[in-house]
Amino acid sequence: MNYSLISMEIAVVLLGLGLLLADLWLAPPAKVRLGYVAAVGLALIFGWSFTFSGTPSALAFSDMYVLDPLALYFKRFSLLAAIVVLIMSVGFAERIAAGISEFYALILFALAGMMFAASANDLAMLFVAMELITVTFYVLTSFQRARLASLEGGVKYLIIGALSSAFLVYGIALIFGTTGQLNFDQIAAVASKYEDNKIFLLGVFFVLVGLCFKIAAFPAHIWTPDVYQGSPVPAAAFLAVGSKAAGFALLLRVLFTAVPGITNGWNHLLIALAIVTILYGNLCAIPQRNLKRILGYSSIANAGYLLLGVAALNNAGRAAILYYLGGYLFAVLAAFLVILIVMNDAEGEDISVLAGLNQRSPLLAAVLTCALVSLAGIPPLAGFFGKFLLIRAVLDEAANNPACYWLVAVACFGVVVSIYYYFGVIRAIYWSKDPPVLSPIPVPRVLGAALVFCLLGMLYLGLFPNHLVETTQDAVKFWAGR
Amino acid sequence: MEDHFIENLAWAALLLPLLAAVAITLGARRAAARLSIGAVTLSFLATLGLFLYLKLSGQTSLAQNSLPWLTIGHFGTPHYLQLSLGVQLDTLSLMMMLVVTGVGLLIHIYSQGYLAGDEGYSRFFACLSLFTFSMLGIVLADNFVMLFIFWELVGVSSYLLIGFWYNKASAADACKKAFLTNRIGDFGFLLGILLVWSTLGAIDFASLKLEINHGGHFAPVATMAGLLIFCGAVGKSAQFPLHVWLPDAMEGPTPVSALIHAATMVAAGVYMLCRVYFLLAAEGSHALEVIAWIGGGTSLLAALIAVQQNDIKRILAYSTLSQLGYMVMAVGTHGPTAAMYHLTTHAFFKALLFLGAGAVIYALHHEQDIWKMGGLRKQLPVTYWTFLVGTLALCGVVPFSGFYSKDSILAQTLKDGSYGLFTIGVVVAALTTFYMARLALVVFGGAARSAAAQHPHEAPPVMLWPLRILAVPSVIGGWIFIEATFAHFFAGAHGAVGHAAEAGGWGEQLLEPFNASPAAAFAGLFAIIVGGALAGGLYWNAATDPLPRRLGFLSRAMANRFYFDELYERVLIPCTHELLAKIAAFLDRWIIGGLAVRGSAGATEFAGRALRLVQSGSLQTYAFLLVGGVAVVIYFLLAR
Repeated sequence: MNYSLISMEIAVVLLGLGLLLADLWLAPPAKVRLGYVAAVGLALIFGWSFTFSGTPSALAFSDMYVLDPLALYFKRFSLLAAIVVLIMSVGFAERIAAGISEFYALILFALAGMMFAASANDLAMLFVAMELITVTFYVLTSFQRARLASLEGGVKYLIIGALSSAFLVYGIALIFGTTGQLNFDQIAAVASKYEDNKIFLLGVFFVLVGLCFKIAAFPAHIWTPDVYQGSPVPAAAFLAVGSKAAGFALLLRVLFTAVPGITNGWNHLLIALAIVTILYGNLCAIPQRNLKRILGYSSIANAGYLLLGVAALNNAGRAAILYYLGGYLFAVLAAFLVILIVMNDAEGEDISVLAGLNQRSPLLAAVLTCALVSLAGIPPLAGFFGKFLLIRAVLDEAANNPACYWLVAVACFGVVVSIYYYFGVIRAIYWSKDPPVLSPIPVPRVLGAALVFCLLGMLYLGLFPNHLVETTQDAVKFWAGR
Repeated sequence: MEDHFIENLAWAALLLPLLAAVAITLGARRAAARLSIGAVTLSFLATLGLFLYLKLSGQTSLAQNSLPWLTIGHFGTPHYLQLSLGVQLDTLSLMMMLVVTGVGLLIHIYSQGYLAGDEGYSRFFACLSLFTFSMLGIVLADNFVMLFIFWELVGVSSYLLIGFWYNKASAADACKKAFLTNRIGDFGFLLGILLVWSTLGAIDFASLKLEINHGGHFAPVATMAGLLIFCGAVGKSAQFPLHVWLPDAMEGPTPVSALIHAATMVAAGVYMLCRVYFLLAAEGSHALEVIAWIGGGTSLLAALIAVQQNDIKRILAYSTLSQLGYMVMAVGTHGPTAAMYHLTTHAFFKALLFLGAGAVIYALHHEQDIWKMGGLRKQLPVTYWTFLVGTLALCGVVPFSGFYSKDSILAQTLKDGSYGLFTIGVVVAALTTFYMARLALVVFGGAARSAAAQHPHEAPPVMLWPLRILAVPSVIGGWIFIEATFAHFFAGAHGAVGHAAEAGGWGEQLLEPFNASPAAAFAGLFAIIVGGALAGGLYWNAATDPLPRRLGFLSRAMANRFYFDELYERVLIPCTHELLAKIAAFLDRWIIGGLAVRGSAGATEFAGRALRLVQSGSLQTYAFLLVGGVAVVIYFLLAR
């Protein structure tokens, strides 16, 4: 048993517990600043993560836990997201009536869940990690107890989440019932015998449904806009980035480590899921005026694009998912940061609030524009290169499966539609007639730094993609031999 | 280690102006001028450091490695493509950078005075910094794609700056015209790049040169590729038949005219031709002959037009056109050295002349008609003397810089055996002297012809010092080994040598033209005497222009720019543009607009609104849909 493998998770949990303890002795103004303490702590852990290499991959807890380059990639990803989200939470603190330290601590616990999920190599571990994320998010989404919308969002997330968890745990039971195995590697060893066993297939599919809830993909996507709209901004941002990435980490491990044979046979199912998800997300966003809901639908659409990498069934596709998530992280966090600063509870989140933003704060206008342009997939920002890699991976597979061309066609159609609604927002920023308010918006220094960080991230990944491309290719290399 | 430092220095020189532009745009409005000037100063110092390092190392180019920017496919496969961002550090690029940042720095400083109090003050400096960045990008690019990207960026910043006073209809039209005309040239340029890329399989200059030296499969397309690439220069350097945008570009603020539309950007075309000279001169290519004649034709045409213009900036604009034609002609007659030499000296004295014109305009409260000026010699002494220096340099009087570079071009045409072009060159030299003498005599000599000209006020020191400083290289540009530097580079790089031998001292430099090619030197001097004498006879103390009476129709044609704008507007545009526009409008309205856009947009929007009904907010519906979705999938997956 090598405890050093899970030392990062231990550190995150201890940091969370430390915050809860510190809460007992600190005066209220000091509590708000605990968020910075947590962010600095996570930054240290982020730095520390580079002392691990993950090669050769190491197993722990009777092979339930694996530390390999893929796990490390997702852990660093979640850490980075959590750092920005904590900084956002400090900026959000005044809108939370009480218990800001708990808010920080819950973010850390959810982060621990994501980091465990990155390393899950066993269905039991998968379930525990997922519940750790989901349960903390139940609280995070409904944290503004005095706000009806927040409560509503929390309840919706709870009920749909419980329903999906039911599918998940039922699927696990069916898999265990048929094969007698929980470990991914051991399932993989016996799965070929069960490829025609409908009970086993049903089990795998139910697990897939449970994971679709996390990544906000069809058939468990429908909660997304409502919950994003209701949740506190930092919680929604973390849900959009961290939770989705954890879902993809698990999805990749289940589909390609545990049941690769079945996954290959389900190529049409995966294409169909991607197509429906892309179409639903993009089409529903068209009539939308609420920026958080737009981002909710965009989150569904992006889950669809990410499924392209799964449906490609090759390492290029898997690497592209990791790359795309990298660009998505900066764009989504940047968009939510702007929402946090510009839109408060009183004015609402209608895009008309953005009128004249370029005069009120050129920085905010520029960052939001870049974020949306990146999400739309326009060069030279990160989103373009991510989509490019995904589509190219699918085209590589098209020689084996002509249905891939349909997937690419739908993806391109989705991009065109998405440009329409993203540019609706950009138009509101720059070309609104007679904006009602023109007072400058003050940007707190730390939030400004976070904004610039996200902006630079988008530009860096868009202009100099090579470094991250190599990292992601290394992270998925271990699947090449299978 | 050292190489790294050198390369980072080059990147810093490139990126600092961009940083300044971004910072100004994002909010540092008050510090706009300081940021912009600071950035260009640092760029200049970095360039100077690089240049000295190169000089001391005794090489013509520094080792460089480019950053891979984008790699697609695997090496060796047909779809392999690698784009890289690299900086080309050699004598050619560094000399050009010195010009861009050095002249640019002075013009930045001058602009502080010229634009003081303008409401777009910070926007102006942001655009100027963006321009500096883009221009340095062109100069430093080590491959065609990077060159093209910056080429377009320069086009954008020029567009922004010509239309700086966008409330003025003429400025708005002019920037549109400049942009569109440039786009025509750039389209050809892009085709040329693609042709080169597809034939030779490389886009960076170093590999292209290797490929061409290997010879073989490039020869059949060499002429075509050379001419297409030349299209880019025709647009950017305003050569016939795309020359029409440059005079209109004078609608921009005068510092912009000086920096962009005289000294640097318009010279980018010539620079690009010199950069890819190996491509144009490749075996089997006849592109250079065409290039030479287009250059010669442009220089003659523009010089004739300049004779009968009355707007001080337009005279200088046509003179710029004419001098650019000279440079292009030099490239076409196998003389990149002469072209770059003239480009450098021209940058000094033309910037000086434009800034001088700016000072005159400033003094007369934005009066630009030379027939409303006069007698300014006494009231504006600094402007007068520096303008005189610029004029003498442009006319090519010994020992001003213009004489040496112009002589270098004339000698090159002789050496190349193009006597026709040599004759054109001499005639243009005479015309140049004529119209510049006319300009100087009318503006500064005689008596004041309007109320404004009687009480001008000299510009503030912040505008006068750049004039004084620019006057220095305009005088001495011919004796400071500029030509030898370029000749050394092109001799090493391309095997084409200008006539400059390894020069001894300053004294020899001074007399060098008379030794190397006496025919060219004396022809040039003769042209100056003829042009100067004619102008002196006609315009000494003249109250009105006597030429229209004497020349009649010819004068009117010159004054109306030989009706090129009218020709384009009435004949060319209706035949091509309007006809195309009508067809396109039909397709757009009925096929694309009606069927494709409205049809598909309507269907899409309808689908969106229909799907939105699903998203009702009701939890029961959501749960039902989730389970329903799962059931449907299970049916397709397992039950069938």
